[in-house]
Amino acid sequence: MTAREMFEQFKQRFGPLIVRADLPSDNRLFVFVDPSSVRYVTQHIFRELDARYVATIGADDRPFSGKFLVSHNFAFDKEHLLCGVLAYLPPDKPQIDSITDMVPAASWGEREMRDLVGIEPVGHRYLKRLVLPDGWPEGSHPLRKDTLWNEVPAEYNPEREFKFDEAPEGCMVVPFGPFHPTLDEPAHFRLFVEGEMVRGCEYRGFMVHRGIEKLAESVMNYNDIPMLAERICGICGCVHNVAYVQSVEEAAALKPPPRAEYIRTIMLELERLHSHLLWVGLACHIVGFDTLFMQSFRIREPIMWMAEKISGNRKTYALCVIGGVRWNITPELKVELRAVLDKLESEWRPVIAAVSRDKNIQKRTCGVGVADAGLVKNIGLIGPVARAAGVDIDCRRDHPYAAYDRVEFNVITEQGADVWSRLLVRAKEVFESIRIIRQCLDKMEDGPLQLEIKDELPIGRMGLSSVEAPRGESHHFVITGENNRPRRWRVRAPTYQNLQGIPAMIKDQQIADMTISLGSIDPCFSCTDRLETVDLRSGSVKVWSQEELLKLTRKKAGR
Amino acid sequence: MSLLSKLGETLVCLKAGRVTLPYPAEAKPLPEKFRGRPIFDATKCIGCAGCANNCPAREILVYDVCQEIRILKYLGRHCAYCGRCADVCPEKAITMSQEFENGTNQIGDIQQRLELFMSTCQRCGRCFKEPSVLEQLKMKGYRFDDLENERWIFRSQATLKGEPVVEDLKIELD
Amino acid sequence: MKAVIWMIVGGLANVGLVLLVAPLAQGVLRKVTARIQSRQGPPLLQPYFDLLKLLGKEDIESGESPGMQRFAAYLSLAAILAVACLVPMGFSAPMNGAGDVILLIYLLTLCGICTLLAGLAAGSTYSLVGISREMMSMIVLEPLFAIALVVGALHAQSFRLNEVLSGSVYAVAGTPYSGLIMLVVMVLSFQAFVQRVPFDISEAETELMEGPLVEYSGPKLALFKYAHMAKLIIYSALFVTLFVPWGSGLFLPLAWLLFWAKVFVLVLLVTVVAATHARYRIDQAIRFFAGLVGVSFVALILASYGH
Repeated sequence: MTAREMFEQFKQRFGPLIVRADLPSDNRLFVFVDPSSVRYVTQHIFRELDARYVATIGADDRPFSGKFLVSHNFAFDKEHLLCGVLAYLPPDKPQIDSITDMVPAASWGEREMRDLVGIEPVGHRYLKRLVLPDGWPEGSHPLRKDTLWNEVPAEYNPEREFKFDEAPEGCMVVPFGPFHPTLDEPAHFRLFVEGEMVRGCEYRGFMVHRGIEKLAESVMNYNDIPMLAERICGICGCVHNVAYVQSVEEAAALKPPPRAEYIRTIMLELERLHSHLLWVGLACHIVGFDTLFMQSFRIREPIMWMAEKISGNRKTYALCVIGGVRWNITPELKVELRAVLDKLESEWRPVIAAVSRDKNIQKRTCGVGVADAGLVKNIGLIGPVARAAGVDIDCRRDHPYAAYDRVEFNVITEQGADVWSRLLVRAKEVFESIRIIRQCLDKMEDGPLQLEIKDELPIGRMGLSSVEAPRGESHHFVITGENNRPRRWRVRAPTYQNLQGIPAMIKDQQIADMTISLGSIDPCFSCTDRLETVDLRSGSVKVWSQEELLKLTRKKAGR
Repeated sequence: MSLLSKLGETLVCLKAGRVTLPYPAEAKPLPEKFRGRPIFDATKCIGCAGCANNCPAREILVYDVCQEIRILKYLGRHCAYCGRCADVCPEKAITMSQEFENGTNQIGDIQQRLELFMSTCQRCGRCFKEPSVLEQLKMKGYRFDDLENERWIFRSQATLKGEPVVEDLKIELD
Repeated sequence: MKAVIWMIVGGLANVGLVLLVAPLAQGVLRKVTARIQSRQGPPLLQPYFDLLKLLGKEDIESGESPGMQRFAAYLSLAAILAVACLVPMGFSAPMNGAGDVILLIYLLTLCGICTLLAGLAAGSTYSLVGISREMMSMIVLEPLFAIALVVGALHAQSFRLNEVLSGSVYAVAGTPYSGLIMLVVMVLSFQAFVQRVPFDISEAETELMEGPLVEYSGPKLALFKYAHMAKLIIYSALFVTLFVPWGSGLFLPLAWLLFWAKVFVLVLLVTVVAATHARYRIDQAIRFFAGLVGVSFVALILASYGH
C-alpha cells in the first residue's frame, strides 16, 4: 500500500479533521490535524489500523510559522510506511491532549516535550520531570528558540532534590545506580524489593544529557552534524550518523550515488556485528561467566581492526556527509574484509553451538525479564527485544534504506520473550549480517562517492529516517532550515523506548535477575539522553548522596 | 550432557591461544588511513580558513592582524579527529598523522600556530574552492577569533578596524 | 614437654606455610583462568603485591559500627589460621591433643559467621542482601562437611584429628559406600566451600557490588582477602586428608611433597570449573545443596550400619 492509498483510507475515516497533508514520496505521509482531534486520530491509527508507535516530537516553530508544532510519528511496518500526525499549537499557551492513556508508549515522549519545549500534555498521569536536571527552574525550556544555547538560567538551584515516589507497603528500597559495576553509564533505578523479589521500580535518568539537539539547531551546520551525531552513542555511532544524513537527504530530495549506499550498508552491518558480539560477552559477564566474555571480545577484535583500516577509527567512522560517504573500500580492503568475515564465522559457530547446549547459562536466563507481544505493542518495544517475543519487525526490511532493498536476508525471531531468546536472536543475527556484507561486496558498483550538491538545500522541508540499530529502531526527524543548519532535529534512540518496558520486565522477579534483565535490552543510556545544556556538571547525582539514601532505607526497613 | 558442552567450550578457548598485544612495550601496528592528530603544513597553507569554517568542534581559530597577516591557530582541546579539515583543504596542507598518544599536561605541545602572509584580493579576499555548496565560507572577510582566550567569535568584518571587537558571550569556561 | 614444643613448632610451621602458599595458589588460579580466557594474566606473584598494597593504605572507619568491622576482619583470618593448626599437612596435626573434629567443625562455621558480622557492621543495603544470601547458603552447606567428618569419625571410632583426617571414610571392610557417596557430594559442592564461581553468590560483583565486603577498604580488606585465599588452601587440605590420603604413610619429606602436590591439583580443578561456569542464582543453589544434604543423610545412615 503506498502513501496515497493510506491517505485515501484516512480521508474516509476522518476526512473533515485533516487540515493539510504532505505526501513527499511513496512511503512517507504527513497529516496535519487540528490539536483537538489529535487524540481521536492517533487512537484510530494505533488501535484500529494497528500501527506501531515511533516517537513524539515537540518543536518551537514560532520564528517561522508563529506556532508550536507537535508530531506523533507512527510506522505501518507491513505497508512500508512512516507516517506523522502533526498539529500546530497557539504560541501563548501551548497544550495538547495527552495520548498516553491509549498509547502507553508515548509516556516519555510527552514528558520530554513538556520539559524541553514547554508543551503541556493535558491528562498525562505521571508528569514528573524526565530530562532536565532537578535544579532547573520551571518555565525555562531549553529547546525554545528564545533560549540561548550556552546560558544557564539565573534561577538554577543546585540544591533542589528530586522527589522520589513512596515505596509500596512492606517493601525495602534498593537503589540501583547511578554508580553500579554493571552499568556503563549512570542511571538510577529505585527498586522496591520485598525479600528477594522486586515489586516495582522508579527510574530517574538523563544524567548524561548533553544538549546535542540544541547545539545542532544553534551553531552547527549540515555537514558538521554527522560528526556530532555519531558521538551520541558509544557503540552505535554509525547508525545515528547515517540516519541523520538520510533524513536530510530525504527532506532535500537528494539521492546518494549507489556506491555510497553500498558502503553505508557495509559499515552499518560491521557495526551490528561488533555490537552484538560485545553484547553476548557482556550478558555472560553479568551472569558471572567471564570466560565467554573474554572469548567474544577476542573474536570481535578483527572487526574493529577492519573498521580502522577502512575508516581510520575503530568506532567513530565519521562516515557520511550529506549526499555521500567519505571513505572508499578498495579492492585490497575487499579481500581483507572477506577473510575477516570467514574467520569470524568459523569462530562464532562453535561458540554458539556450545552456548546453546549450555544448561548453566540457560538456567540463569530462561524465564527472566519476560516482555510478551502485548507489552511490545503497548510500550512500543523494538529491536531484538521485540523479535524475541515473536513480533516480526525490522526496519531494514520494512522501511528499506541505503542498499537494503538490494540484498536478501532473514529476520530472526524467537518465541520465548525472555533473556535467553534475546541472546539467541542476537547471536543468529551475526550470521545474517555476515551474509549481507558478502552480498554487498559482490554487488557493489563503481562510481562516485559523493553527490555534487550545487544548490543550497530547501528550507522548511521535513524528513524522517528509521534505521535499524543493533538495539532497535533509531528514528531521526529533521526540518531543514536557514543558515545551513536544520531548524529542528529530533533523535529517538531505541533504548528510549526499550527502557520504558523495564519496570514491567523486572516486576515479580528476583533482584539477582535485575541486572541481566536490564542488560538484555542492551541499554545505551548515552543514546537516550541527548538534550540540553552545555555547562551542567553537578545535578541529581551529587545531591542525593549515599548517606541520605542509606538513612532512607534504614528508616523504611524500621531499623 | 552439560559437562561435555563445558569441555567443548574450554577446548575452543584453549585453541585460540594468547591474544594480548605487548603494547606499550612494542608499538601498536596502525593502518595507513588511521586518523590521528592533524598536522598543519605552513608552507602549503594559503590561509583560506576553509578548515576553520568546517571544523565541527570549532577548534581552529583565525585572527587577522592586518591586511597582510593572518594567524591560524589549531587548539587541540576538543578536536574530534574527524578529518573534515583535511577533506576540505584545497592545498592538501593538513594530514591526519598516525599519532594517537597525545596525552600531555601542557596543551601547547599539541597546539599549532601558523602565521601566514597573505596577498590581498579585491573582493572578499580569499579564494576557497569548496567541495560542495554546504561547505562554503560562512564568514567572508576579516576574522577576529579571540586567540588569547581561545574562543570562537561568531562574527567577521568586511573592513578592518583598529581594535578587534570581542563580543562577550555568557560562557563559563572551565 | 616434647609434645608442647612439637605443638608450637608444628603450629607455627603450618600457619606460616598457609600464609606463604595461599597467595601463590591464588596467583596460579588467576594465571590459569587468564590462559583459558586467551589473555596474558597477571604475574604469578601478583596477589602478594595486592595484599601489600592494601596493607599500605589508609585505614578508614566507615559503615555503621566500625569496631565490629575491625573485629570481624581480625576474626576471619584468625579463625582460618586456627584451623590450619588442626589439619595434618603432610605430618601429624600440631594441635592433635588440644582439639578434635568437633572443634574443627565449629571453627569452620566461625569463618562463615565472620562474613555475617562483616555485613552487619557495614549496614548498607547491598551488604544486608549479601549476608542474607550467605546465611541461606551456609545453612545448607555446613551440614555437608560436618556429615563427611562424622562419617569418618564413625568409621575410625574416634574423634581425634589424626585418625579421622586420614582417609577414615574408606576404613570399612568391603566397599566403602558411605565414603564414596560423600566423595561425590563433596566434589559437587567444593566450589561453594571455597566461594568461587558458580557458587560465589554472596560476593557477586556484578549484582551486588561485593555484598558483605562493600564497606571494606585498605588493611581490613587485605585481611578478608587473605582469609579468602587461605580458605582455598585449607579446604583443599581437608579434602585431600579426608578423601585422597594415599601416600601419607611414606617417610616424611616425600609425604609432605605429595600432600602439597595433591592440593595443587585440587586448586587447578577449582580454577577450571570456575572459569567455565556462570554463576547460579541463590534459589537454584539452595535447591542443589538441599538435594545433596538428602543424599549425605543416606550416607550417614549407611555409615552407622558399618558400610
